[in-house]
Amino acid sequence: MTRILLRNKLDDCIAAWQKAGFSVFAPVRQHEMSSFGEVQKASDMAFDLVLPERTIKDHFFPQTEPLIKYKIGKQQIDSETMTPPDRKRVFFGVRPCDASGLAIDDPLFGWDYKDDYWFRRRDNSVIVTIVCTEADDFCMCTSVKLSPESDKGADVMLRPLANGAGWQVEAVSERGTALLETIPSLLQENSEPTAPVPQVAEKFDLEKVMEWLASKENFESQFWKDISLRCVGCGSCTFLCPTCHCFDIQDEGDTYAGIRRKNWDSCSFSLFTMHTSGHNPRNTQSTRWRQRIMHKFNYYRGKFGVNSCSGCGRCTRQCPVDMGITETLQAISNLPR
Amino acid sequence: MGIQEQYRSEAAALLSSGEVKLVIGFGEGSTADRRRPLFARTPEEAQKFVLDAACIANLSTYLVTEGLLSDGKKVAVFLKPDGIRSVNILISEAQLKPDQVVILGYAIDKAEITALEGRNISDFSLGEEIRSHTPPPHILQEAERIEEMNPAERFEFWKAHFSKCIKCYACRQVCPMCYCRRCIVDVNQPQWVSTSSHTLGNFEWNIVRAFHLAGRCAACGACDRACPVNIPLRLVNYRMGKEVIDAFDYCAGENSSQKPVLASFKQDDPETFIL
Repeated sequence: MTRILLRNKLDDCIAAWQKAGFSVFAPVRQHEMSSFGEVQKASDMAFDLVLPERTIKDHFFPQTEPLIKYKIGKQQIDSETMTPPDRKRVFFGVRPCDASGLAIDDPLFGWDYKDDYWFRRRDNSVIVTIVCTEADDFCMCTSVKLSPESDKGADVMLRPLANGAGWQVEAVSERGTALLETIPSLLQENSEPTAPVPQVAEKFDLEKVMEWLASKENFESQFWKDISLRCVGCGSCTFLCPTCHCFDIQDEGDTYAGIRRKNWDSCSFSLFTMHTSGHNPRNTQSTRWRQRIMHKFNYYRGKFGVNSCSGCGRCTRQCPVDMGITETLQAISNLPR
Repeated sequence: MGIQEQYRSEAAALLSSGEVKLVIGFGEGSTADRRRPLFARTPEEAQKFVLDAACIANLSTYLVTEGLLSDGKKVAVFLKPDGIRSVNILISEAQLKPDQVVILGYAIDKAEITALEGRNISDFSLGEEIRSHTPPPHILQEAERIEEMNPAERFEFWKAHFSKCIKCYACRQVCPMCYCRRCIVDVNQPQWVSTSSHTLGNFEWNIVRAFHLAGRCAACGACDRACPVNIPLRLVNYRMGKEVIDAFDYCAGENSSQKPVLASFKQDDPETFIL
């Protein structure tokens, strides 16, 4: 016997969590875009999405974030540190790839300096994932050794019931157990079968890819130039990626008063590594695309022991010229050895 | 022989004779209904070209890639009328030399695809077609709906859409008319336009782009299709284009000898906007 949550109890569930002090976020469709947004009732949620267009990352590492307010006077300098709101949040209906993305980024934000902006939000959030019942042509979680039922990054994992009436509920962390304790009367014992998990075919051989990337002689390979020829250099793939985490610090205002902000930055942009001198060590699109792949499947792994990709496939799904990680890694794994 | 085979062999002939150094066309994409830009430098690579009704991207954007044409050699490119229109605009703005571009033209009407006569830009006369061209009904309907709004409603409409912008600049990068080597938003000494992607910053970016494209847009829809957050950029550019037609009786890209409308002056220009 396992516990289940019925779909028709979802409104009560949201109310119970709100009563316990949580704001509830879920996939929503708004203004012709799907993303995570705050919901008040079950009918606000968009359940029919394979994956929202925007990632859950937006709510932990927003595209622009005020850090410090400053004012420079004749006699003194006033500054005020701006911290993110301390509210407790439940993210309901997260796909396993997006939840994994958060777990993949944790070591980065906590490595030499503990990023308060990230961890304050992480510590106050409970991630409720829903195992996938559908995958599209771009899904590639299995290729990066995750799966549509991975519990990485999840606090509670829901498995859809085969009859569509609700979800089997399982707490996978202490935080998840605590969340379920706020809704004991809404869960019931049941042995309904769960819906089958989709088969997501492996699209490339990750071991072969990592081996090729690790070989220094391939760094200057013609491969990089050929594969990235059509890249137009926008930041769509990086900004829609659940693990891309590069940012830039900008002062907005004037010399005497303003706000210091942390804004998303992208290795696809020609200014990304531009030096003040005007020299740019990555002055072509091919060297920038190589950086993106090397960072995700070589450098990040070297530093944190995990690849910086959770296989959501958004990079390809949304690319205006149909590029993406899948094609590049497929091409690498098919290279003659 | 179908158009695909015809253009494959023509591309191969252009490459083997050395007339062009590169052919830019389409290849298979990552799914059955996707096509992706494909660059052929050898006759063998030209055999991979695909040309069918799914080839909707405007490949002229690659013609302004930095350094591509600086060696004086020629490039051939697969173009629909909107791409040819883009080439006209680029030539009129002195960004391309007419003789450096060989056009493999085609038109799509519903699922039908036909080859266009002519290989040099001067072979194509788009004037009338562009003038009489009306946007698809769904764009007209959307445009009318916005036109009927009062200013406050219209502001809310655009605020909702621009708030979604993440400043990935996909709209700019896929646009053949956005050829500036350093876009004003990337000028950072000083940083004239904030990089922040908050609502105000997003308004700044989208309004800057709309103004820079007024009277220059080829209406190919590349920006609209590229936008990962689905901002209806088609409506912005349609409206700006309409404004220029109404004010100056000017339609960008009718031919390559036009003078750019906002960079030229006539004594009888209306000056209704000057107070």
